[in-house]
Amino acid sequence: MAKPTSNEQVLQGTLDLLILKTLSLAPMHGWGLTHRIEQLSQDVLQVGQGSIYPALVRLEQRGWIDTEWRVTENSRRAKYYRLTTAGRRALGQELASWNRFVGAVGLVLAAEADA
Amino acid sequence: MRYHLRTALARVRELFRGRDRMAAEQQEEFALHIEMETAENVRRGMTEADARRAALVRFGGAQRYHEETIEARGIASVDNIVRDARFALRRVRRAPGFSAAVTITLGIGLGVAVGIGSIVYGVLLRDLPYDRPDQLVRVGFLTNGAAPGDDVHPSVTYYHFALSSRSFSALSEYIISEDYNLTDGDTPERVTIASISPNTLTMLGARPILGSLLEQGDTSYSNPRSAILISERLWRRRYGADPSIISRRLEINRGSRRVVGVLPASFAYPAPSVDIFYPATVPVKQPQISARGYVVVGRLRDGVTPATAAAELNALLPRISDRFPTITREMLERSGARVSVTPLKAATVAPVRPQLILLGVLVGVVLLIATTNVVNLFLLRTERGSQETAIALSLGASRLALTQRFVIEGVVLGLASTVVALPAAALALSTKFGFTEREIPRLHEVSFTPSTIALVVACAVVLGGAMGLIGLTRTGLSGLFDRLRAARSTPSRAWRRAQDGLVAFQVAIALLLLVATGLLGRSFWNLHNAKIGFEPGQAMTFQVSLPWGEDGYVSYAKSASFHARFVDRLTALPGVTSVAIASRIPLAGHGRTASLDLQSGDDQSRGSVQAPGNCVTANYFSTMGIPLRAGRTFQSGDLRGAPAVILSERLATRIFGTSDVVGRIVNALVQNEPPRPFTVVGIVGDVRSERIEDGEVPMLYFPLQRDVDGLGEEARPVPVRPMDVQYVVRGAQLPSPVTLQHVLKEMDHRVPATSIASYADLFANATARVRLTMLLIAVAGVSALLLAVIGVYSVVAYAVSGRVREFSIRLALGAAPGRIGGMVFGDGFKLVTLGMVAGLAAAFGATRFLRALLYEVEPTSAVEFAVATALLILVTLVATFVPARRAARIPPATVLRGD
Repeated sequence: MAKPTSNEQVLQGTLDLLILKTLSLAPMHGWGLTHRIEQLSQDVLQVGQGSIYPALVRLEQRGWIDTEWRVTENSRRAKYYRLTTAGRRALGQELASWNRFVGAVGLVLAAEADA
Repeated sequence: MRYHLRTALARVRELFRGRDRMAAEQQEEFALHIEMETAENVRRGMTEADARRAALVRFGGAQRYHEETIEARGIASVDNIVRDARFALRRVRRAPGFSAAVTITLGIGLGVAVGIGSIVYGVLLRDLPYDRPDQLVRVGFLTNGAAPGDDVHPSVTYYHFALSSRSFSALSEYIISEDYNLTDGDTPERVTIASISPNTLTMLGARPILGSLLEQGDTSYSNPRSAILISERLWRRRYGADPSIISRRLEINRGSRRVVGVLPASFAYPAPSVDIFYPATVPVKQPQISARGYVVVGRLRDGVTPATAAAELNALLPRISDRFPTITREMLERSGARVSVTPLKAATVAPVRPQLILLGVLVGVVLLIATTNVVNLFLLRTERGSQETAIALSLGASRLALTQRFVIEGVVLGLASTVVALPAAALALSTKFGFTEREIPRLHEVSFTPSTIALVVACAVVLGGAMGLIGLTRTGLSGLFDRLRAARSTPSRAWRRAQDGLVAFQVAIALLLLVATGLLGRSFWNLHNAKIGFEPGQAMTFQVSLPWGEDGYVSYAKSASFHARFVDRLTALPGVTSVAIASRIPLAGHGRTASLDLQSGDDQSRGSVQAPGNCVTANYFSTMGIPLRAGRTFQSGDLRGAPAVILSERLATRIFGTSDVVGRIVNALVQNEPPRPFTVVGIVGDVRSERIEDGEVPMLYFPLQRDVDGLGEEARPVPVRPMDVQYVVRGAQLPSPVTLQHVLKEMDHRVPATSIASYADLFANATARVRLTMLLIAVAGVSALLLAVIGVYSVVAYAVSGRVREFSIRLALGAAPGRIGGMVFGDGFKLVTLGMVAGLAAAFGATRFLRALLYEVEPTSAVEFAVATALLILVTLVATFVPARRAARIPPATVLRGD
């Protein structure tokens, strides 16, 4: 497994959310996806590159994403992943639950010691 | 749910896409990924080789992700099915006792259930095999005092409705008669005739396999076509499927007829036993409403319901007087004449509905008992193996894989049970439990088919899988830690409660079935010992039908002389002591005769009474053992003047109000004719004529003499023709069928002896229906009892084995062994009591559904309830006593040795 350097390992369970969000921007292939996630997080988040594929299959089976073989700009055949309507709905739910989680953690961390 | 469905569908789809192709795509995808990462690294300034190595390192073990991805697709689990099946087979082999018990229990339960279920479905539920069967209805004609199920029409109402009604696209009628003989060729043969209105065939969509159908004009006697149709069965059996049968004239004892067509065997209307179809004539020259016999079936027009059709016909009924003035409205009203319209399927199966519903319930019970027992076995086994499962889980076996393993084990056992289930179902459907279509209409439509096999296999797989799943609920999927810790102490409470529930349930079912068995058993006993009014004993019977026509035996004189000669030949045979003749004999189920309208000759203020007339020889009463209560039997000269008759006691009382009527006159009333007087010369005991449970039938006996007492060849001294009669032969040695046929052939080659039977057989047949139902219920009852006992025993014994440690500590601390035994016994008995209360309540509510089958027993008879309860208490006492005694005898040192 790729060793984390100064970067953060993607938190377990958040990978799906990151994939859904990134795919909501544009359909892309696997490598593009990992690259884009790292780019968007300004290289803070390191996606275990291989581990993205099992996650993609899971999401596809849930009907949240669709696949399609297309030709890349360098005229290579590649498998593209695209968000479905159900996936868009799921993204909204996941986002809401993530925000709740972050807010809750924030509340705990912001708590000040009582006397 | 939808999510699971979609996942499952996706898996199935991918299974079909082919594993190799998927793997190739995956490899291509990974290769592209690594290639692009390499290119990116190069762009960042790495050498080609370094860039590639870095890309590979970053991607991680490609092979591992490959496998994980495949796993995520669920392909691996499909792959594992084969492995799991092999594993299951190994486990099955390792536990032969368990496997055999499951296979046999489930196999018998399933086989019998599918067999009976197919019969119940085929008879009660499946559509009739005709075009648009929902439109077919039976039109009944009912009058006051008619027997239930007796809804046949006189010719006039059918004629009237067929001409006037607008509710039907076709209205047909038929009559079945069984007293026709085919007299062509060497051996005469009794055949079953259906006289049908020709529109029957078009109404039901019949197509001949040879020749043509009957035409409307064929119903006229003067039509030179004299057409008949024959069945495929008769065509193959008697005429070797000879196609030249068309246009051939067949010699029949009622005159020769010409075959115009052959109907296929699949056309089993009105009954599968019909050999020849006559075009029915509907005589309305002498309109009567008491002479009935036409079964009327119609096809409703589109949009007409049975209720609206019935309303129309009931409104039309009084207008029959406009068409036939001799039938007055007052007559119709007095007899309470009315019309019923019932869907044909319901009308056809109505007489057997209660039995079939009972059978259907039995199916459920048999299957329920079998499954609960197998589930119990499964639970017991998984409980034993739960440690094994817990270890597997803790070592990282996935729950999905474990579920799969359990389900597959269940399915393998289920499939194994088809080895027993298929022959059981085939046996059930080929023997049909000894029933024929005489007792159960439409039974001929039911058979063992490939779809039965498919049903058995499907049920086996589903039941097996379900049982595996139930077994799974007992594994360590929850509370893994508890389970490892609890290794050999008391079983969990939920587990015990589930088992207790099953056992209580079995006790309840066993009690219910025992009560039912008791009730039916007593019915059978009552039937068997019912006063039937005659002596069945050592006797044989057969039927003889004489031919009609010019060289036939239409007159009384000719019939009488034939019978006299035949009786002489029979009496001369060695061992025969007496030979008697009657138009109908008790319990024979055939030889029905028309009813007569009878009235007291000297007291016409009393109304008329309907009773069948029976033409018998003078020695009939002594031969049958029917007691002569007053007067004398027939003697020579009885036909002269007002001919002699003998009344049964009950009939005498009905006509005259007393049975002391020897010497008085009884009148037979025929519409539009002067009454015919007869002299009562004797009174005899009543007999049970049709079925034993129907009670005694009042009967009028006419004399069948050796000649007409000099009245002349064409005289008709009695209103019953002695042409279709039953012979009763008694003696130490009875003639064989071959002898009978031989003697008859010498006398007239056109006359066969048919329905040859011993009276003991007739009597057994008359009680067969109740006996068979009783046997079926008894089998279910005894197996339920057995299973309940095993259930009680195993639960109590299992509880004991789980509490050995507790008991030995208690004993070591000085508890009395008797108290320990009592404790176990009490626990077990609580269970039995619970089941018993539930069973008694269920039996109290359910046995009234048996009422149709009971004879002189109340459905809630206290004796049967008490006996069944006592029996159950007794056997379950034993089942709990054995383990309780073992608990009391545990040596206190066990705890020191154990664990």
